[in-house]
Amino acid sequence: MPHEQAEDTRVDWEGALVQRARTGDRRAFERLYREHAGRVYGLCLRMTRDPQLAEDCTQDTFINAWRALGKFETRSSLSTWLHRIAVNVSLAKRRKSGRVESPPAEEEAEACEWTLETPVEVHEIESAIGELPEGARDALVLHALYGYSHIEAAQMLGIAEGTCKAQLHRARKLLRERLSVEVN
Amino acid sequence: MTEPSNTDRKVTSLRELPHSIEPPHDLWPGIETRLGDIRTAADGATPAQRRAVRMRWLAAAAMVACVAIGVWVGRGLLPGPAGSGTVAVNTSRPQAVQPPVNAVPHEVYVSDPRYQEQRAALVRELQARLAALPQPERDKVTASLQAIEKAKADLEQALGHDPSNALLQELLVNTYQDEMRVLTDVHEASDPGRGI
Repeated sequence: MPHEQAEDTRVDWEGALVQRARTGDRRAFERLYREHAGRVYGLCLRMTRDPQLAEDCTQDTFINAWRALGKFETRSSLSTWLHRIAVNVSLAKRRKSGRVESPPAEEEAEACEWTLETPVEVHEIESAIGELPEGARDALVLHALYGYSHIEAAQMLGIAEGTCKAQLHRARKLLRERLSVEVN
Repeated sequence: MTEPSNTDRKVTSLRELPHSIEPPHDLWPGIETRLGDIRTAADGATPAQRRAVRMRWLAAAAMVACVAIGVWVGRGLLPGPAGSGTVAVNTSRPQAVQPPVNAVPHEVYVSDPRYQEQRAALVRELQARLAALPQPERDKVTASLQAIEKAKADLEQALGHDPSNALLQELLVNTYQDEMRVLTDVHEASDPGRGI
């Protein structure tokens, strides 16, 4: 399929750039930055809700990635690897600023489609997501927006899978209230 | 909070929200400056390069340790020049070529005709001499020689990456000398009238 071919080409191209960056080629690393900066900044911004902090997190993510390039396995997704670093950096920055909340009790899984009964404008949803408590927002951003599984999101956030599900349940409830639409 | 582009668009799923939000300005110059600091601190080497160099040194050190143990085991089993009273002194023992280690690189050592001639003679006789040894000693000598061969190969490979490294050169010369000692000891140990 054309999409799969494009994906393969992108991955091969990316693998070659990673190899070159590992040898100290900064131009190759810059091309990787150009390719992924938006996705990394988007995640950092949604996790921190602070454009300046998100910029710092994005820079730190790429600095940490440069340092750890030798550990990256080219078979895995660079995007996911960068997201993991970005989540760690964002959480660390938030902890440093003293913004820590206690997680809710663990819950059983529930079906998570994350569709809205009636269409809502992007800025309205973004605003509602931004107002969620941090733990619920982190879980929602990783799972509902970026498509990571419960277990992947939990691993990235350093929490139990049940806690992640509970945060998602909480996020769904709050979004439903704030958007006044059913979130399925 | 910076809004993603096309914010008036309506969506019916959170998956439709944009994954990518471009930073308000280019962050690369700041990143590149910090990368420069990292490279300066590391003397120009990337983490992967530093690890590769460290691994080569560790491999070389491990091989030298292996050779030292092998030679030590071999010499403990085989009679040396000042062996016990049951072993006769062999006045015809070949003198190993001993060039000054610090002054002579390994190429000079191995290209010395005396070394080549002496080693070739010992290697020619090696199998016959080994056959005269008891099985346990034969196994240990064989293992020592294999470890020495591996050490030589590893050190030569490391020198291929860093040809002017004096320590690697010295280690390689030492390894050649260890090989000569083992070969000489085997030669002497299996000499008629000497016994183990």
